[in-house]
This record gives sequence, structure tokens and C-alpha cells, in this order.
Amino acid sequence: MCLGVLIGSLVGFLPGIGGPSTLAIMLPFVMTMQDPLLVIALLVGMDAVGNTASAFTSILISVPGSSGSQATILDGHPMAKNGEAARALSASFVASLLGGLFGALVLFASLPVLRPLVLSFSSPEFFILTLWGVSMVGILSGNAPVKGLLAGILGVMIATVGLDTKSGIERFSFNVAYLWEGVDLVLVALGLFGIPEVIDLAGRKGSIAKAEEFGRGYVQGIFDVFRHWWLLLRTSIIGAWVGFLPGLGSSVADWFAYAHAVQTEKNRENFGKGDVRGVIASEGSNNAKEGGDYIPTLAFGIPGGTSTALVLTAFVAVGIKPGPDMLTSQLNLTFAVIWTLVIANVVATAVCMLFAKPITRVCFLPFYAIVPPIVAFIFIGAFAANFHSYDLTALMIFSLLGFFMRRYGWPRAPLLLGVVLGEKMELYLWLSYTRYGFEWLVRPMVLILIALLIISIIYPVVISRKQKSPDRSLAEA
Amino acid sequence: MKVRAIERISFTSFIGVIILTALFVAKDWPIRASIIVLLLGSVGVILAAIQLILDCKAARREVATIARPTFEVAALEHEGRWGSLEIWVWLWGLFFGIHLIGMPIALPLFVFLYTKFYGGRWTTALILAAGTWGFLYGVFEQVLHVPWPKPWLGFLV
Repeated sequence: MCLGVLIGSLVGFLPGIGGPSTLAIMLPFVMTMQDPLLVIALLVGMDAVGNTASAFTSILISVPGSSGSQATILDGHPMAKNGEAARALSASFVASLLGGLFGALVLFASLPVLRPLVLSFSSPEFFILTLWGVSMVGILSGNAPVKGLLAGILGVMIATVGLDTKSGIERFSFNVAYLWEGVDLVLVALGLFGIPEVIDLAGRKGSIAKAEEFGRGYVQGIFDVFRHWWLLLRTSIIGAWVGFLPGLGSSVADWFAYAHAVQTEKNRENFGKGDVRGVIASEGSNNAKEGGDYIPTLAFGIPGGTSTALVLTAFVAVGIKPGPDMLTSQLNLTFAVIWTLVIANVVATAVCMLFAKPITRVCFLPFYAIVPPIVAFIFIGAFAANFHSYDLTALMIFSLLGFFMRRYGWPRAPLLLGVVLGEKMELYLWLSYTRYGFEWLVRPMVLILIALLIISIIYPVVISRKQKSPDRSLAEA
Repeated sequence: MKVRAIERISFTSFIGVIILTALFVAKDWPIRASIIVLLLGSVGVILAAIQLILDCKAARREVATIARPTFEVAALEHEGRWGSLEIWVWLWGLFFGIHLIGMPIALPLFVFLYTKFYGGRWTTALILAAGTWGFLYGVFEQVLHVPWPKPWLGFLV
């Protein structure tokens, strides 16, 4: 877990390499582990703390270390410019710690509620749930719902590649023996999230920011958080709720929390000019989100966001089966996740607070020292998937797909989720059909879930169209 | 701007064609193997058609667009004349380099050349390359005993 925390924190310090990319890079190495508790400790530890350390770059150089720290820049960087970087950093670490602990508490408190609900479900309900998960992530993870849905469908199609064990049919393998086993999840994850981020980082080469001074107010920042405890609590609730909803990642949580702070706090004129409340709101919510994220991931096998989709990929690969088992026979693994979230947050905050000054220097590593080792690590990781030279070809194909998806505004998370959930989705659909024929479609819970699915698809589209019409009239004017 | 719109339409068409081809191939399979492909593929083809119409409309509409907040971090516009083509050349070079001279030589060489090419010091480049080689040798050769695929220039390893 400490290794996970250190890697997660290091990734946070380095601008441009986000949590999902690192999780993707680590997948091939994690899959060689036999003990599921080790996998949980490493990956959940890494995932839990990425947002804590990413405050460094957001505050000091105005580049978000992760997508969850974008709103931190709005007040954190002006504070650094005013000579209060230390105050902003300490406030962000303490807010992250308390937000992270709140998220773990929410996950723990949700278990008694989820258990009877999950145990009452059978294959038809689980099929609709997996469909709902992919659709929600597709619709909400970008600003193009149709593209998101298409990406999810493409992901499920990719999951069907290989020899079908039910019928013995070769599916989309084009007589290539390498494809009989299907497409490795690691290669999809590395291609979609590893290489495109590296390309982005390499493209920034001329724009390495100037360092701001460490400044003053380190202790004051800690007290600031306790002084604004009510704001922290509210924004942590927002974070945990956003995490619980599939498809809304930390990049949404911090903006929602920041917007809430600006709308509800008194004396708002300082927001955006270096108000510590902006830092507290953003950082508290993005860490609380992690606990909320694991609720649908563990209970239904539907990840709350991109990072948990990657963690889920590793869980499935090492034999951990998210779903009802996580609340019954494998409850110890669920508690391992909760405790990892708690301990990882404490360790990461301690590391960041104790070594804040030396860590600030790491933020300014030039791109040429970061890009080549990461590329090497990605290629090694891809080759380690099957130790076959075709692994590298598959990596390059998915890298091209990921690059173009990013370039043309296609969300990549639904595609990965489609690949992760595709096999389960197909199994649940087939079981529902063989057990109940078409009668499963009129089961009460299935009808409720279908209604929710339709509402969740239509509602964002309607909202999006409503928002577009005033924009258009404004543009025409 | 027009070029980007054409690229966008081409990419959507590409995705649509993939799903359509999958649907066409799956229609000959038994139902237990094709059920999910037929169900989702049919929806996919309709969605691809809708997206294509949306892309064409967006390309034709010449009114100024208003920037709205989005929760997806947008890809950066790369600096320099060649943009992201430069890093792609490096990546494909590494890919072919691995096939040509093998991973244990190509990876450290790539790390060294990239670092040096963009202005890194000799010591930085050598340390990073040595670290990469050390990782490959230590973990893959000594611990995992990985049989490296034979490179095209096999006499080098």
C-alpha cells in the first residue's frame, strides 16, 4: 500500500501524467500478483491519493496534476502568486485528508443498505445494470452523449473478440491465433490512456512553467480548514455523491464543489483571486469522491469513473468478482478497500506535509526526463501482457484509437468500461434469455431499471439541447 | 477548421463502418454467439448515423460557437509545425526498433536518444537509459526469465 501511495503521489507531483494513465501502466505488473489483498492495497492506495499530491502542480505552476484538481488552480495559484503557496498547500492536504476519510466513511455506511438490494437481483437486473453503467459513463463522461454511447458499444464489441466458449465460434479473430484468447484489457487500457497522455505531455515541451515561491502560512492553512469545517463537510458530501453516480469523475466533483462554494459562501468577491475556501472546496470534494466511487464498483461491478474502471479491470483479472460476493463471502476484501482508503489518505497527507519543500522541486522536471521512461514502461507493460510481439502491435492500434478519440472529442472511459463489462453483459443477457425467454423484460425491478436507464439517457440530452439554444441565439446576435 | 471537420466526419464514419461490419459478420453465427453483437450493434449503427448527421451539421454551420464548460480535459494543441506527428515518429521508431534490434537494446537506446535530442545532459540521458536497461535485465531476465522475441537483426542479441 505504501508503494501504491508513493507511486500515486509521485504521479500527482508530475504535471501531465494523470491517475488513470498510471493505473493503466501498472496493470500488467499488478496482474502477476497472487494475493488479492496486495492488489487492493497497491491499486486502491494509488488511486486514493492521486488528487492529494496533484495540488502541488495546480497551486505552484497552474497545471493540474490530475483532472480532479483543475478547480484548485482558480484560487490556489493566485495564492501562490501572492506569496501564500505554503498556506494553500497545507489547506489542500488537510482538506484532502478529511474529504478522503469522509468518502471511506460513506462507503462503510452504505454497506448495510446495499446488501439486501444487491442480493435480491438476478441475471436480468444485472444485465440492465451493466447496460445502465456503460450508458451513464458514455453519456456523462464527455459533452457528446452519442459519441459516448457509441464508444461503449464499440467497447462491448471488442470484448466479444476471441473464441466463444459457449458455442465454440471464432469471433472477429480473422484466423489469427493470437486473438483467440480475446483482446487483453491491459493493452486497451495502456493504448487508450497511457500513450495519448504521453503524447500530450511531449507536445507541451516548450511550456514548462516558472516556479512560484513556497511562501508563508503553512500552519495557518491547517487552521483554515477547521475554521471552514462546514464548507468542507458540504463539499465532501457533493464529492461522495458525484463519485457514487457512475460516469461522473473527479473532474466534475471539484467543479461542482467549487461552484457550490462560490454560490453559498458569504464575501464571495475574493473567489478566483486567492481565497483559501476555493482550495478547501475543490480538494475536499475530489478525495471524498474516491469513497463514493467504490460503492457502485464493489456492489454492482459498475465503476464510478475512469480510475475505478481500471481498478475494476485489475480486480477482475486477479479473480476478485465485484458484485454480490463483495457483500457476502468476500466482505473482507470490501473492508480491505475501506481501510486502504483510510490509511492511504493518512500516509499521503503525512508524506506531502513533511516533504512539501523538496517535493516542490520535483514538479519542475523537464519533459525529456519524464516522457522516455514512461514510454519505456508502457511498452514493457504491454509486452508483459502476453509476452508476444503482437502485444506491441495491439498497443499501437489502441494508442492510435485513443489518440484520435481524444482529438475528436470522443470519451475513452466508456470504451474501456465496455471492454471490462462486455463479457459479463453478454453472460447476463444470455442467462436471462435462456432462463426466462422474453418474460424477463416485464419483471418489476427490470422495468424500474429500464425506466431509469431511459430517463438517464434522455435527460442529459434534453438539458444539453436546452443549453445549446441560448448559446446559438447569443452567437447569432 | 474545415479540415478538422472532415477529419471528425471521417473518424465517425470509420467507427460506424466497424460496427456495421461486425453486425454483418455476426449475422451468420448461432444466436448464443451473436446475441450481444446483434442487439448492441443495431443500436450502434443508428447512433453512428445520428452522430454523422450531427458532425455534418456542425461542419456546415458557420456561426461562431460559444465555449461552454466541459468536464472532459481537452487535448492540447501541440506546439511547433509538426504538432503531435513528432512524438508519433518517435513511437513508431521505437516500435520498429524493438522488432529490428530487440527490446533490451531498443528501449534504453530510445530513452537515451530522446533525452539527448531534446536537450538533456549526457549524465541524465545515460542514467535514464541505464535505469531502463537495469529494469529490463533485473526484472525480466533475472526474475521472470522472459524469452524475448527474436529480432529481425537476430545476431545482435
